[in-house]
Amino acid sequence: MAMESVKESGYRKNFSLIVAFIGLISVLFVLSLFLAFNFSKKKIEGDFISAKTNVLEESIKPYNDFFSNKLPEISYYNGFLDSATAAKFVDTILLKYPFVKKVVFFDAEVRNMRYEDNGLNVGEFSVGMKNAYQFGTYIPEDSVKIFGPNAVQSNATLESFNELALKLYTFVNKLDTARTPTQEELFNIFSNIKHNRIDYFNIPRFEDLKIYKQMITKKLPSEPVYQQDMLSFELDPMKIKIKNNRPLLYQSVRIEPITYDPLETSSEYETGEITLGGPFSAYKLYFISAKSFIKKEIFGYFFPIAALILIFYGLLLLVAFLIYRNLNINHKMFKLQYDFLTNLTHEFKTPVSVIKIAGNNIKSAASISEREQKLYGKILDEEADKLNGLMNKLLAFTQIENKAIKLNEDRVDMVEFIESTIDVHQLKHPDFKLTYEVTDFTHFITDPVLLGSLFDNLAENAYKYSPPNRKQLHITARLIKDKVVLRFKDAGIGIPASEINNIFKKFYRIQNQYNQAGSVGLGLAFCKELVNFMKGEISVRSVVDKGTEFKIVLPFNQ
Amino acid sequence: MIAVKKYVWLLLVVALLACNRDAQVREIPVNDFFKTQDRALYRLSPNGKYLSYLTLKDKKQHLVVEDLEKGSITEISKLEERNINFYCWVSNDELIYYKEKEGSRFQTDLYIVNKNGTQERVLSNDGKSKVRLLEDQLIEDKFLLVSSNKRDSTVFDVYKLNVRDGQMIVAAKNPGNFTDWLTDSKGKLRMAISTDGVNESVWYRENEARPFQKIITNNFKTTLWPVAFSENKPNTIYAISNVNRDKNALVEIDCITGKEKNVLFAEDTLNVVEAQYSKRRGKMDFVVYETWKKEKHYLSDDAKKLYQGLEKLIPDAESKIIHQDKNEQHFIVRTFTDRSPGAYYLYNSGSNSLKKLSDINPSIKEDEMCEMKPISYITNDGFKINGYLTLPLGVQPENLPVVVMPHNGPGQRNSWGFNADVQFLANRGYAVLQVNYRGSTGYGKEFYAAGFKQWGQKIQQDVDAGVHWLIKQKIADPQRVAIYGYGFGGLIAINSAVNNNKLYKCAGSSTGILNLFSYLKAIPPFLTSNLQMYYEIVGNPDKDAEYMRQASPVFHADKINIPVFITQNSKDPRINGNDAVQFVKELKKLNLPVTYMEKEDSKSPLNREEARKKSYAALELFLQGNLKKR
Repeated sequence: MAMESVKESGYRKNFSLIVAFIGLISVLFVLSLFLAFNFSKKKIEGDFISAKTNVLEESIKPYNDFFSNKLPEISYYNGFLDSATAAKFVDTILLKYPFVKKVVFFDAEVRNMRYEDNGLNVGEFSVGMKNAYQFGTYIPEDSVKIFGPNAVQSNATLESFNELALKLYTFVNKLDTARTPTQEELFNIFSNIKHNRIDYFNIPRFEDLKIYKQMITKKLPSEPVYQQDMLSFELDPMKIKIKNNRPLLYQSVRIEPITYDPLETSSEYETGEITLGGPFSAYKLYFISAKSFIKKEIFGYFFPIAALILIFYGLLLLVAFLIYRNLNINHKMFKLQYDFLTNLTHEFKTPVSVIKIAGNNIKSAASISEREQKLYGKILDEEADKLNGLMNKLLAFTQIENKAIKLNEDRVDMVEFIESTIDVHQLKHPDFKLTYEVTDFTHFITDPVLLGSLFDNLAENAYKYSPPNRKQLHITARLIKDKVVLRFKDAGIGIPASEINNIFKKFYRIQNQYNQAGSVGLGLAFCKELVNFMKGEISVRSVVDKGTEFKIVLPFNQ
Repeated sequence: MIAVKKYVWLLLVVALLACNRDAQVREIPVNDFFKTQDRALYRLSPNGKYLSYLTLKDKKQHLVVEDLEKGSITEISKLEERNINFYCWVSNDELIYYKEKEGSRFQTDLYIVNKNGTQERVLSNDGKSKVRLLEDQLIEDKFLLVSSNKRDSTVFDVYKLNVRDGQMIVAAKNPGNFTDWLTDSKGKLRMAISTDGVNESVWYRENEARPFQKIITNNFKTTLWPVAFSENKPNTIYAISNVNRDKNALVEIDCITGKEKNVLFAEDTLNVVEAQYSKRRGKMDFVVYETWKKEKHYLSDDAKKLYQGLEKLIPDAESKIIHQDKNEQHFIVRTFTDRSPGAYYLYNSGSNSLKKLSDINPSIKEDEMCEMKPISYITNDGFKINGYLTLPLGVQPENLPVVVMPHNGPGQRNSWGFNADVQFLANRGYAVLQVNYRGSTGYGKEFYAAGFKQWGQKIQQDVDAGVHWLIKQKIADPQRVAIYGYGFGGLIAINSAVNNNKLYKCAGSSTGILNLFSYLKAIPPFLTSNLQMYYEIVGNPDKDAEYMRQASPVFHADKINIPVFITQNSKDPRINGNDAVQFVKELKKLNLPVTYMEKEDSKSPLNREEARKKSYAALELFLQGNLKKR
């Protein structure tokens, strides 16, 4: 009883530990889900603010490309652009950059002679246009030329020319001829970024600029005329292609005037804005998303994290279960070994107490008769044999289990071998009926000692687990397909189907009337180890109250 | 002496070969290729007894006079500045020279000095005008013919400079566009050349009292170079001309009518590039025609005897008379070969002996240099293209990495001779291909004109055809061909990267032209006639804008997909530095491998050497990275 309570308390301790563990990780699980959700929410809300720059950058890329690659190309022509070349150049621009609405090309000159109504005259320095053309998708053929001979009358403003011409003059006037201006300076001077418009003069060489400077103060005798090209690009910000690279975040992105701020935006919506730069600075990108739309994105972000946490939680649970299971098995093993120890002690106790009684009787008897002496001698001899047998069995089993013995193979005559086994058992148990049958072969090579152990164990079992009137065993040996097949069929009590899987386990015994004492539950486990060691297989078939048949298959070696 | 030297060399070479057949070719430091001599401007005194030259000591240039008989050396001057425009003998005892003023490019002061270094005095120190020497020979024992812009800074008139008192007397007024003058054997100024940038005119007067009359006008495609007045025929001049011919010939021209009178040397296949007239003999000595190499054709037996005597002493080399004494007995001779930048020699025709004065570049060892061999091939449209192939030493001429070096232009050519760039590349293991693509000079008018407005087109095809030819010869490894050039050569190279990037592994341009519009822009707009000439050669931006756009690499950065090497002097006032910078920026934006270097003009030779080392090292690395690994 005491033993039982110790076991019970150990069991309970493990269980509570595991429950505590599961409780703890469950709390952690819920907590991390909560944190993950909060994180997702913060992240998406933050993204709504920060990803605007990204959208802006992507959308404005064609403009930047136009500004930093296409504009300087005008300078490559060094003032040599004419209407035909300019038209071709502009065509590629209109095609590639839809936000360019219209381009006005001023074919201009720098000279010492005044321009009356079409240029800028300061001192001797004059910048004027020869011709001006406009190019655009919806400009009819006959109204391309807007200034110069044969030009159509047009309302198109030419003032952008004067603006930039003045800028050019101011720069030339202040030009420090000792120092080459940097490309950046030049670019700033020769371009003019206005509301929805960019004007660009081709950048002359430094040498030419020096001559321009001379031309301010005096008429040069060579009467030079320098060609300058100015292109004025009219831009339409509404034609900028918006690249919403976060369509799940921003429900809608639009270009709106910088002052756009609708009152009716309800609390159902999240909005944001970012100003377009350069000539588009009067416009902004306007971002708007419904709150529910953002929520969807939050969940979209949260679910993968939650799934990960769940998987991790599941893994932890699995580990906990496996640990619990192993603990349980170990516990059962412990119990089996405990039982075995009890049985073994019991097993040893009987012969020892018999020897003790016999010893006491001999010691306390005044004289011993010859009959008594023979009796005690026989008792002592038998009990000592029993002890010896027990110890041998235990030793052999441990050895086999640890693979400490070697196979000692020899040629075995099957008929002779079985007959001698039968003789031994019938001598021991005169009521034991043993029959045998050997077919197809007579000899094979195996370890005779191990084989003897097998036969002894199985014959012992057959005798032990049979009711007194049915103590019989039929042994057959056959050669089937290069295998020796041995069958041991008895008419015993049989093994219940539920136990059949356990009978080969160590220290396992079926609880019944036949094995109250004198059995350690090692027999069949020992048999299985032996057969394994001999590279064979053992199996069992049984019907309760009808009998059991063990089948051993061993390799046939000639 | 020379024979012994040769024998020693031969022994050495044989010994070297025996020791190590596959001897690794020594990698010669970059600057060794470009070193210049520390002696320059050799001159002889009129009587041939004294030799003078400039020599560099402690970075200062000294004028030295050597007594050829006694061998004594006198240092005449200690010049602070390295650059002197010129000096010359004005008598057997006196020399004049210009000192250049620091900080100003042209202003010079004229001095006269005794040959023993005494009595130096200033002849003129007009700070504003420039003076150039027309003839380094005294007229009437006291006058030198010079041109100067002292009357009008944009126009050079001809003056008689009195070397005794520095007085200048006007000999001929320049109406504005005269660029060249010619005197007869008595020193009378009788011929002038004028140009309007495209057309060249020859003007003549019978004597100095008369005004100049225009006798011939030629387009820039035609050559007419007066050489000398005929001694015995009146109103007759010898000239190198290709008027009504494809190739240059030596002819006599009647100065009254301007018509060709007589032909001295003309061959349909040979192009005359030089002609030598002897004042002493009063005859034409020889003409020089250039095929793959310059050859002489003698026109007088005396000259033949004289020059063949000289040539026997320096076989295989090209030679040129730099200066001579009055009696044409002592000569200063400059020689060179493809494998040597050459040397200065003093030749005595009386004793037929040669004395070496100095090497042009003593760092160059001839046996380490590579031979420059003529090649030619026919293009698909039937043009014969001539060129040169320089193979690296010590390797089999098979499957070699090749650098194609198209020459600069327009109106230039590759000639046989020492080329430091080519030798540098060959020393680094590359075969170097140079081709005289159409538009190159020296192959006749037709060939020259065939290259007009063909940049990026036929010219490009000519260069490519050369590479295909070299691949067919199995000399070039088709996987390892690079193209690299200066100026217009750079234009061709970068255009190759734009158009035909399968043929070339990489392309390099050194201060190359990247934009034809910018090239034309460099010509001031008031030089209208000059502009017209360039419009014809390069392209007319009004009519050929599309072609010029196509032939200018700046417009096509997006079509390049091979590594590109570009150097540029962005401070150079003559170019639009923006072009290259913008071009490189675009290439970088397109993630193309581009090596860009900015060159700087440096006054100090030490910095210049350093800069050169840097840029050539970068080129070497660029080529190695793209050609050496397979």
